[in-house]
This record gives sequence, structure tokens and C-alpha cells, in this order.
Amino acid sequence: MTHLCFRRVRKSFGDTVALEGLDLEVREGELISLLGPSGCGKTTALRIAAGFETGDSGAVVVAGTDVTNVPAHKRNMGMVFQSYSLFPNLTVRDNVGYGLRTRGVGRAESRRQVHDMLELVQLTDHADKYAHQLSGGQQQRVALARALAIRPAVLLLDEPLSALDAKVRTSLRDEIRRIQSELGISTLFVTHDQEEALAISDRIAVMSQGTMEQLGTPTAIYRNPSTAFVARFIGSMNELAGTVADNGRVVDVRGLHIRLGQPHRGDVGSNVRVLVRPEATKLVETGGLAGSIISQTFQGASTTVAVRLDGSEQLVDVHVVGSLEGLRRAGDTVSVDFDGSGAVVEPA
Amino acid sequence: MKSALTPRRRARLSRLGPNLVLIAAALFFAAPILSTARQALQKVPMPLLTWGTATDKWTLEGVRRIFDEENFWPTLQTSLQLALATVVVTLVLLVPTTLYVHLRLPRARSLVEFLTVLPYVVPPVALAAGVAAFYRANARWFFNWSWSLVPFYVIMALPFTYRSIDAGMKAIDVRTLVDASRSLGAGWTRTFTRVLLPNLASSLVSAAFLTATVVLGEFTIAVTLAKRTFPTFSFEYFGRDPQGGVALALLTLLATTMLLLGLTVLTRPKAQRSRRSRRPHPPTGMSS
Repeated sequence: MTHLCFRRVRKSFGDTVALEGLDLEVREGELISLLGPSGCGKTTALRIAAGFETGDSGAVVVAGTDVTNVPAHKRNMGMVFQSYSLFPNLTVRDNVGYGLRTRGVGRAESRRQVHDMLELVQLTDHADKYAHQLSGGQQQRVALARALAIRPAVLLLDEPLSALDAKVRTSLRDEIRRIQSELGISTLFVTHDQEEALAISDRIAVMSQGTMEQLGTPTAIYRNPSTAFVARFIGSMNELAGTVADNGRVVDVRGLHIRLGQPHRGDVGSNVRVLVRPEATKLVETGGLAGSIISQTFQGASTTVAVRLDGSEQLVDVHVVGSLEGLRRAGDTVSVDFDGSGAVVEPA
Repeated sequence: MKSALTPRRRARLSRLGPNLVLIAAALFFAAPILSTARQALQKVPMPLLTWGTATDKWTLEGVRRIFDEENFWPTLQTSLQLALATVVVTLVLLVPTTLYVHLRLPRARSLVEFLTVLPYVVPPVALAAGVAAFYRANARWFFNWSWSLVPFYVIMALPFTYRSIDAGMKAIDVRTLVDASRSLGAGWTRTFTRVLLPNLASSLVSAAFLTATVVLGEFTIAVTLAKRTFPTFSFEYFGRDPQGGVALALLTLLATTMLLLGLTVLTRPKAQRSRRSRRPHPPTGMSS
């Protein structure tokens, strides 16, 4: 069942179009990430859902009710912000209870619910502290508890992890996902960090320049990017120049035929760029394109080998399970082949 | 043998420069105040105020005379009322304006900031003379009105008041706090009283204090508009009774210092004030 729905929401600031008719449906209990570079419109979409901004046209629907013209304080959205947003004059307990007191919940009942929320984010020991006495991660957990205390219709998270250091970021990310699944609350999560989006989401909406490029599960987005933008934005890509052959089923890269999973619609013989992931790129004994090893980066479970293709300045990355140690060295001549089943092709 | 400096001696040496500067600055400020005190409180003619007479004839006579002046209390009252009115008008005008700029027009901030320093650019006497010429001809009632100084004082205090309020809002990320409060169901009134006012209190108090200081010391406009305020009284009194005038200056200085101290205590953040008195919360105390 759809819980939060954007219908052709358009928003511009002066001459800049922030959202170009966004259509998006968040299902009951689902966590969708809005992923994209800065300025792609993801935060604008979130702020329109929260009621802080009004779209130029289109509608926002929550649980079947059109809330487009409902002011922010009557929307019942729980929001966690990128910057620390705890009220400095209130203790942790009063921060979490703020929304409840606003709703006229009695003191005793409010206290009980605040305690439940602090238990959920494991901060009951800090109830009497002020924001400045907490670490960044703790502040964001209190902000999460505060947003959840009002039992919001939708949880809106605006890059809540981006101000935190790497280790705290990962643990809080997992905690957000745990709490979100536990409560079954529909959530919109804005981030520019693809790793974060891949780890936390049921589905990801990749955005660019005010439009949604692709909506899909993390696996689908990673394995079958529908556009070159998505392919480049998520993970890394080897990019090769070639020409379309065999009715669009093959791209010819200097004599090497890369067979595509999805036929390309361009004219046979036209110039294209084909994008292949490093893990779909292999070192082979025969066939493939010749090149020489430039460097090897050992990453524990795998090694990234950088290869310069002969007769060009082109570098390609190859992911090898384990390590090449003892077998190949920088300068060695190798052959590289490409599995085109998940490749993306764009006109050159 | 080479005598190497021990770390402690080196630290002491490196403190020498800053300490000298501090001592020089302290002397620079203290000397005039001490001289003022001697002029005000010693019954010795000014040319004879030398090291040799430092302990002679100290008396509160000059201070006592001030309170006998018939215009002392009325002009002080006028100036205090003007100060209060100016503070109220300033806060009512500036808080919503600054808030609006922060929330909706962040790009207009530099323009507003520029506008608020205009009183520095336009000399008070030019401002007052121009306005006086205009209102005397076109709206005499305003010119004669006892509160007509308030708008001038609001403008005169702008460079200080706007900066103080602006800094207060910058310090708390006012936009995020307002958004947070509204997303939690609070309307504008509740957001203002529960979130903004408590967190802006110290900057509002200092804005108010700076405004009051400007009003209590402003002379040019009051004279140009022919108003009798505390500063015009001080000036006039000094002409009549130099020692009493100096005593009045000293008294004003003392009162301002006390106010400043009060302000410092008053505007300490609440969390900081409560920190010492609050016991750390027992880890198992929440198990109800």
C-alpha cells in the first residue's frame, strides 16, 4: 500500500529548476533513499514532503490524504536534520518530549513515552543532559527519538549521518535501519553517499538535476543501471570507446566484441561509449585487449589491478578475488576481457 | 657550559610580552579613571592635584551636590524612559526582521548589514538637523513630542543591536531549530516562545543593554532637537559645577559597570549555570 506519494511535484527557485515533476511512491513500512549529488533536488523533495517548502505544482499525498496545502506543523512528519537540531535550552528528555507536549499529551504519559523512545535509541542514561554534553552521534540519536516520539506518519531523514565520523556513521546507519524495520515506519532517507544508500534502503531513487533517473532495489540499481549517470554515480566504471555491431547486440572495441545483455538501439556502426564494472572485467590468457599492469591495490578480500591498454592512454580497473602477488607484477603484459551483460552503452 | 633554558623559564619568558601589554592597557584605562576620581572626590583645586596631595581632603561632597540638583532626577527619568521605549521599539522591529532575513532571505543579509551601519556614515548632527528641518516645517507636533527622540535612537543603536541579534541567530542555526520545532507540531507562537526566545535571550539582553547605553550617552541629537535628557543635563551641569560634573561622570561610569556585570551574569547560558548544581544522573535511575 502506498503511504507517501509525490505526484508530478515541480519546484523551481528563480531560474533554477530543483524538481522537474517528481513522481514517487513510498510503500507502507518501506525505506526509500533519495540519492544524488548536491543540487539534484533530493533535499527539496524532502522539504516539500515535510511542508517546509511548497511545490510550484503537483501534490503530496500521505496515507490517501492530500497534504499539499497543509502547513508543516500539522503534517505529522518526523524529521531528522543534517545539522544538529536539538533545542539547546532543553534537556534530552524535554527535547524528546517537545512534540508530545505540543500535542497536549499529559506530563506523566509524556514522560513514559519519552523513556520508551530513549530506550529505543539506548540513551536513557543521558535524559538529563543538554545537547552540548553529547557527542554528535548521540545528538542524532536523540533527534531520531524526538522525531519518532510523535508517532509520525512518515519519517524524513535529511542526510542525518553526514556530520559524523566514519565509524559512528556506520553504526548509526545500522541502528536507524533496525529501528525503522522494528517500527515498520515509512521512511524517506536523503543521502549523497551511495554506499549508505545501498546498505540501508529497500529501494533507491537516484536523482540528477531535478529528475529521477532510476528507481529500484539496491541490487537492481547496481547491477542494471538504466542510464550512464546512474552507472557512473553508483560504484565505479571502466569506460571504453567502440562502435555498435551485430544489430546492437555487440559493441566492437578495437576488434574485441563485447556482447551486451540488452541490445543497444543506436545505429550499427555508430560511435558509443560502453561502461563496464571492474568486477565484470577479467584478466584472461587469450583473447581480450592487450595491456600492461600499472599498479595493484590490495584491499583484503580482493585486489584492484590497474591496466593500461596497449596503443592508448586508457586505464581500466580489474577486480581480482584474493591477490595477484607472486604471479604478476607492475609492467607485466596481460589481456583484459569484458563481460557486457550488465554494461551500459551511451552515444559517444 | 652553555646555559639552556628550562621549559619553565622559557614559558615564563614567553608570557612576558603578553603580560607587559596587559599591564600597559590596564594603566591606560585606569589612569584617567583614577584622575577622575581624584577630581570628583578631593576638595583640592585642580592645579594642586599632584602626588604630594594624593591623600588630602577626600570627600563625598561633590557626589551629594548632584542629588540636590533639581534637574538631575527628571532628566535621568526622561532618559531611562527613552531608553526603555527605544529598547522595546528596537526589539519589536529587529527580531522579526532578522528572523525573516535568516529564514527566508539569507542572501539579503549583507544588504541589511550594510543598511544597519549607515548611522556610522551619516553624522548624528546631519541626521538630526535634516530631520529637524523637515519636521519643523511639516509636522511640528512630532518635533515637539517628548518621544520624538526614540526613532533616532533606534537608528543610532542599529549597528550594535542588529549585530547582536544576528550573531545570536547565527549561533543557534535558527532555521534548523524553527524547522525542527514546526515538524514536531509547534505553531509559530510556540516556536517563538519555547525555542527562539530562550535561545536568543542572551543576545536580546545584550542588544537591549547596548541600546540603553547609546540612549543614556547620546548628546548631539538631543541638543539639536532641543530636548532635556540626562546627557544634556550632565553637560550643562559640568559647565556650572566642574567638580560636581566630574563626580557625575564617575557615578555614571560606576552605574554602567554594575549594569555590565549584571548583564554578564544574567546572560550566562542556562545549561552552564545549572551544570555545577546538577548531580550526574545515576545510570540505573530510569528503570521505572
